[in-house]
Amino acid sequence: MREQARVTRRSFLSGAASTSLGVTIIPSSVIAKPAPSDRLNIGHIGLGGRGRRFLRPLAHLDQKVVPWENLGGAGDRYMRPALSTALCDVDSSRLDMSATMVGGRPRLFKDFRRLLELKDLDAVYIASPDHWHALMTIMACQAGKDVYVEKPAAKTVEEGRAMVTAAQRYGRVVQVGSQGRSQEAAYHAKKYINNGQIGTVREVKCWHYENPRGDWTPNSEPPPGLDYDSWLGPARTIPFNRTRTHGSFRWMLDFGGGQIRDRGAHVMSVAQWVMNADNTGPVSVEATGEPHRGGIYDSPMHMTVTYEYKDPDWTLIWAQPGEPSQELDARYGAVYWGDNDRLTVTYGDRNTTDTEQKAKDYEIPYGGVEVFKSPGHGENFEDCIISREKPVMDIESAHRVSILCILGNISYRLQRKLEWDPVNERVRNDQEANRMLSRPGRGPWHL
Amino acid sequence: MPEEGVMFNPMTTTKTISKVTAAAGALTAIAAAAEAEDRFLQGLRSDDEDANYESWSSAADMDPSVIPAVSELLLSKKPNVRKAAEESLKNIVHSVGKVIDPRSLGANAGRPDDPGRMDPRQRVVAQLRSIVDGNKRQQVEKATALRHLSLIATTDDVPSIAAHVHNAQLREEVVFCLERLPGKAAEEALLAALQGAADDFKPRILAALGHRRADEAVAVCVEAMRSPDPQIAIAGLKAWGRIGTSSGAEIELPDRDSLTEWQNVEFDDSVLRYADAQVDKGNPDEAEPIYLDALQREEEHLQCAAIIGLARIGTASTAAAIFGKLRSGNQIVRITARQAWTSLARDEG
Repeated sequence: MREQARVTRRSFLSGAASTSLGVTIIPSSVIAKPAPSDRLNIGHIGLGGRGRRFLRPLAHLDQKVVPWENLGGAGDRYMRPALSTALCDVDSSRLDMSATMVGGRPRLFKDFRRLLELKDLDAVYIASPDHWHALMTIMACQAGKDVYVEKPAAKTVEEGRAMVTAAQRYGRVVQVGSQGRSQEAAYHAKKYINNGQIGTVREVKCWHYENPRGDWTPNSEPPPGLDYDSWLGPARTIPFNRTRTHGSFRWMLDFGGGQIRDRGAHVMSVAQWVMNADNTGPVSVEATGEPHRGGIYDSPMHMTVTYEYKDPDWTLIWAQPGEPSQELDARYGAVYWGDNDRLTVTYGDRNTTDTEQKAKDYEIPYGGVEVFKSPGHGENFEDCIISREKPVMDIESAHRVSILCILGNISYRLQRKLEWDPVNERVRNDQEANRMLSRPGRGPWHL
Repeated sequence: MPEEGVMFNPMTTTKTISKVTAAAGALTAIAAAAEAEDRFLQGLRSDDEDANYESWSSAADMDPSVIPAVSELLLSKKPNVRKAAEESLKNIVHSVGKVIDPRSLGANAGRPDDPGRMDPRQRVVAQLRSIVDGNKRQQVEKATALRHLSLIATTDDVPSIAAHVHNAQLREEVVFCLERLPGKAAEEALLAALQGAADDFKPRILAALGHRRADEAVAVCVEAMRSPDPQIAIAGLKAWGRIGTSSGAEIELPDRDSLTEWQNVEFDDSVLRYADAQVDKGNPDEAEPIYLDALQREEEHLQCAAIIGLARIGTASTAAAIFGKLRSGNQIVRITARQAWTSLARDEG
């Protein structure tokens, strides 16, 4: 007969602790966290092209390294000392490649829960496919890790809210990788607009080129070394097809959701930030679009989504292809239309993010509206690990941006205008749409 | 002209002609519909992607009786045909999903056993159900139909869907579908399914009940926690923590030593979720001791969770507990306590 601990509801955790002390090794970091000046120990989950850019190699540890310019900032400071001490990917080839890049002896895992169990990690960088973002972030918070997770935050509205709740419950710092907010051009645009230089903004019109079509690559067996069932995780089971897995998952609505998610999470993130709409959302969403007639992907070729905001009243338009800026040459971005003038912000993610000279030249007058200037998205995150402040793209703000991406795709799929309640996060006028705001998990993977 | 010797009655003849005309009209309409359906299916089966598109983009205009034939095309060896079938089914389903609750349809609400009186949504649902029930239907077809049912089915459809929950090939999709359907009937079906479920599937059903925050499931969660199978025990605890409803009695938690390291993480998380739910439900007395216990743990994040929870309660005793952490040797705990203390002071102000 197995002996079982009998505890009352009033001694859950202390009782639990007493039963687990025999097997739990208390790490030194729990007793004494490294001082702020010490190096950070970083874990990485998801080591595709993006994930590998976050690696902190042993060879850099004693060097002055300038942050990756893709993540913004003025380039006027060096990266905080940090080492990638634990790596996880469901694909052995990516894991091995990353281990070689890091050097030394990082601990390697194919199951991210084993990585999260490590007690000596200060934070994790998550660069998995979109359908994994929420669960991995929530579970990292449960394990006491601060999190940098790639954008967009979540696949469903329910997931996003659960991420916010988890971060709040454990007091974790969660930065989402919409790094446009850390680009200098976005800072200049925000200071310019928030100080009334183009008048009251009534419309923000984004433009972006179309989604890819995908070929008819046949289904096949997953390559050796890829744990495809783990790659699918909470998503429905479908046969392996290399055209919709690594890197290209984002064109499938099951795993990603097209450019409105991939780039919308950048361009519209800057828009929400500039418009001071981080804690609210639109009251209606209406999408139209046209699918590709063939090809494996199911995200639309063209789409236009109109988001109406109230109090203050303004409209955000995501358009593929839309109307490019007349002032600056770029493949995507947004034009902010004010009563008196307009202003372009190109891209909104990469280091080619730009704005017009008038905004760059503008200096905030005494008594004007001050605007946060990020030292760079990664630096901002790592600063917040120490300070416990909210990062520039904290999970609440990111959840609000991912709602835009999610509702745009739902409205496109349903071909109906949705009336949105941004407080209760429900669709007012469409029962099917409400069911699409959440998605039950598969197997052991649940919110 | 009437035949010779037959009395000519203009009234009767007019009625007869009208009936014949109506019947002919109906036959013509049926023939036209059949022809349209044939054209539609031919378009889906075509090797020409433009023809595929023309068909799938008009799928919502087709009668729901076309669904079984479209479903068969999910098995096609041609990927463009499979895609055309998938897109067609989505378009048909989405075209009837805006209003799902029959109560809001009033007099138009039909009965599933009377196809003539069904509204369009019910007719689509009936066709999808026939695929799930069909003996000769393949797994892909049934799984696809269940995904669509999760978007537009109602309480009326629960028994039919739940009947497949012990089918090992289909159970995951059945629970997915039930988990998404609003209403108590789906929860009752999940509870019933738990009783006869294989042990390896009980955690999945418990997860569904937890996700739904099904109050009625608290008792089975508590029972599951006593299971000698750690997978079931931790699944019971996780569902219980998510539901967050007090059982009103002392409960026996899973044995920590039987759990893996990650399951111990889930253990702590579940208990903290339960405590947070008590605060949300205006039952802070139940939550406070849990937070105070967490405050004594070694792990920094559990101390932080405790501080945050205690600040939400916001009484003198919880403030005192937070005060004690203002000088914690752990920087993160210390800062979290300071932030909580500041928020308490702000609230007091």
